[in-house]
Amino acid sequence: MAAKKLRRAKLPQELCERLSRYQITTCQDFLCLSLLELMKVTGQSYRNVQKLLCQVSLACAPKMQTAYEMKVRRSVNPSSAFLSTTLHSLDEVLHGGVPCGSLTEITSPPGCGKTQFCILMSVLATLPVSMGGLDGAVVYIDTESAFSAERLVEIAGNRFPAYFDSDEKLFCMTRSIHLYRELTCDSVLKRIKSLEEEIISKKVKLIIIDSVASVVRKEFDTQLQGNLAERSNFLARGASLLKYLAEEFSIPVILTNQITTSLSNGLAIPADLVSPADDLFLSEVSGAPGSGKKESGCVTAALGNTWSHSVNTRLILQYHNLPTRQILVAKSPVAPFSVFFYTIEKSGLVLQDGKDQSSLTQEGTNPALQTIQVRNTVLKNTLVDAALPSSTGAAPGDPSNP
Amino acid sequence: MRSPLPPPPPRFRAPLRAGPSAARWRWGGGGMQRAVGSLPLGPALRARLAAAGFQTAQELLDTGPCGLSREIGISKEEALEALQVVRQECSGDAARTAGGAGTTRKCTALELLEEEQAQGFIITFCSALDNILGGGVQLTKITEVCGAPGVGKTQLCMQLAVDVQIPECFGGVCGEAVFIDTEGSFMVDRVVDIAAACVQHCRLIAEAHQEEDHQKALETFSLESILSHIYYFRCRDYIELLAQVYLLPDFLSEHSKVRLVVIDGIAFPFRHDFEDLSLRTRLLNGLAQQLIIIANDHKSAVVLTNQMTTRIGQSQSTLVPALGESWGHAATVRLIFHWDKSQRLATLYKSPSQKESTIPYTITPHGFRDVQPPAVTQNTESTEMNPRKRPRREEEK
Repeated sequence: MAAKKLRRAKLPQELCERLSRYQITTCQDFLCLSLLELMKVTGQSYRNVQKLLCQVSLACAPKMQTAYEMKVRRSVNPSSAFLSTTLHSLDEVLHGGVPCGSLTEITSPPGCGKTQFCILMSVLATLPVSMGGLDGAVVYIDTESAFSAERLVEIAGNRFPAYFDSDEKLFCMTRSIHLYRELTCDSVLKRIKSLEEEIISKKVKLIIIDSVASVVRKEFDTQLQGNLAERSNFLARGASLLKYLAEEFSIPVILTNQITTSLSNGLAIPADLVSPADDLFLSEVSGAPGSGKKESGCVTAALGNTWSHSVNTRLILQYHNLPTRQILVAKSPVAPFSVFFYTIEKSGLVLQDGKDQSSLTQEGTNPALQTIQVRNTVLKNTLVDAALPSSTGAAPGDPSNP
Repeated sequence: MRSPLPPPPPRFRAPLRAGPSAARWRWGGGGMQRAVGSLPLGPALRARLAAAGFQTAQELLDTGPCGLSREIGISKEEALEALQVVRQECSGDAARTAGGAGTTRKCTALELLEEEQAQGFIITFCSALDNILGGGVQLTKITEVCGAPGVGKTQLCMQLAVDVQIPECFGGVCGEAVFIDTEGSFMVDRVVDIAAACVQHCRLIAEAHQEEDHQKALETFSLESILSHIYYFRCRDYIELLAQVYLLPDFLSEHSKVRLVVIDGIAFPFRHDFEDLSLRTRLLNGLAQQLIIIANDHKSAVVLTNQMTTRIGQSQSTLVPALGESWGHAATVRLIFHWDKSQRLATLYKSPSQKESTIPYTITPHGFRDVQPPAVTQNTESTEMNPRKRPRREEEK
């Protein structure tokens, strides 16, 4: 692609040598120059330089496909377009499940079920295609050391008792889940870069990173000057690498995120044409800000606006009434905003069908600012909080007594 | 490098005319009297010609290839090539000064008005949005759509890629679409849904009107044909994007029916990996220039989508379109999509001919639509205002 050397773009040999004297060796260097600079550097006429530009562009440009070819390719191999989550209503709304070839993000307050969901998806990916899986290995990058192998075996055994009837099958499944513990941003990035070879050698069919937010927030303090830009840079680079892997190998990539408090300061919101809410992620409070702050704040997904652009699908898990929780489809190119209820059982996540299914309403809001209900709102002591102004975001259900 | 030649005897040169008027005449004139320095030859060659004393294109042509190669010390083939370039340039100049067509870019305002009125619009199926845009997304202009994540930019792009193909008898421009994707958010299944809804809509119109050309157009306007005429490119970084835009004019010459070029996510590849912001500005400006040329020469609409970024102010921060202030000049028409609690709104932020306004819209399983109910009644009779605008119907909901 960009780092392609010019001689592989089939430029004549003496021209490449001449260009290398000016330190122009890759296609990237060539295409970043203006036409006059190119004329000076190659010593050719205007028309010739345009021809050279076309030649180098041909070496770099992507291949064309029509939408029809894409559709045909997908319909020929329908099972490979999605990884079914076995949560039936969710799969229906998402047109099949977690899509292959794009990034899916799971956001939730702590303890709501992100890691459980990831463990469940790992089991599903190792299942054979006939059972809705991808029959492949899983790369699990764990930054919080939250992965529990025992829980993995428990979920597998309870969800598919007929299939995992022997120890042999369980061992086989656990052997194909490759766990990496990375604790810094750099090592996570290095690990992602090395994944390309691993995917081919180990026949990986699912990448899970649990969680992106923890390692990023440890290292980047956004209150310091310049850290916000660096953080966005790191996230954007990671996102584009992962997108490349997802598309190249047609596999799903699942990332988890944490929550933060988004405060809108008390100033009147100016009537300008940009987004009405102010995006100010100040304190990284995980948990309900029930401490009597005067500003109204709401709990939303962390990592900011740019990250919300980079992920293609966003699923939010939040608390409803204990033990029921909700899963929201906040951002998806194929699904409208929908809400489902689930609980966490021995066999992983279980959807509760038929309980106030408000699917297919178009009531979503900005996925970067979608308010999330956290646990403490449910356990709130009503006596104490009657005196304090309520400072949790407006949520569809009210925090009734547990 | 040879030592510079002694000045040649006067008989090989056109007599030098003295005085400042001569200099002006040589520099400013087109055609044969064009100065050598302004010809599109390689810089080394130009330097040699200047050192040898050549001043006008006429002198070069008079000398001939063999004489030129002897004087300057280049091969006969190179001399011939140079002379061919010179000849082409000068005849091009002559054609231009004689008022020839083709590359001239001057015309009167009346001609422009006629062109603009005959210009097609690509409808968006959201009548409120079409109204504030003055009919829809305009051809030969660059339209930029900015918005927060998840607000519907890619949905609009997919909708337009389908709508550009609507046959003329239904009020469309009957063109094809190029979709350049940098973010990977193009979903074929969604395009299938949108296209199916569009075909259904046209079918209903055809049934209501029962005209022959409607039926004939419907035969070619099917799901397969719509999908086959969306040309999809996936660019993973900014170099691939630049390369693709360089190649676009050739592609559009081959596929002359293309009327829409969508670049979904012009911000994404430029927002990381760039330490040198001035290089980024330069590349973006170059990109904008090329897109303007493409839009004009091929009479197609160019639609770009941009992200929003947080600008930290003193006491608050706001969301502004990404890529900086200078990028704001690139697009002719700018739309900003944003949320107001759970309502999606579109604001016309910049337009040379329409005033700023905000309208609500929604995304349905069929695609980009109005918020119910649209004002239907007054449009059914107003077909004489814009004969291309076909009436809206209730059944589309």
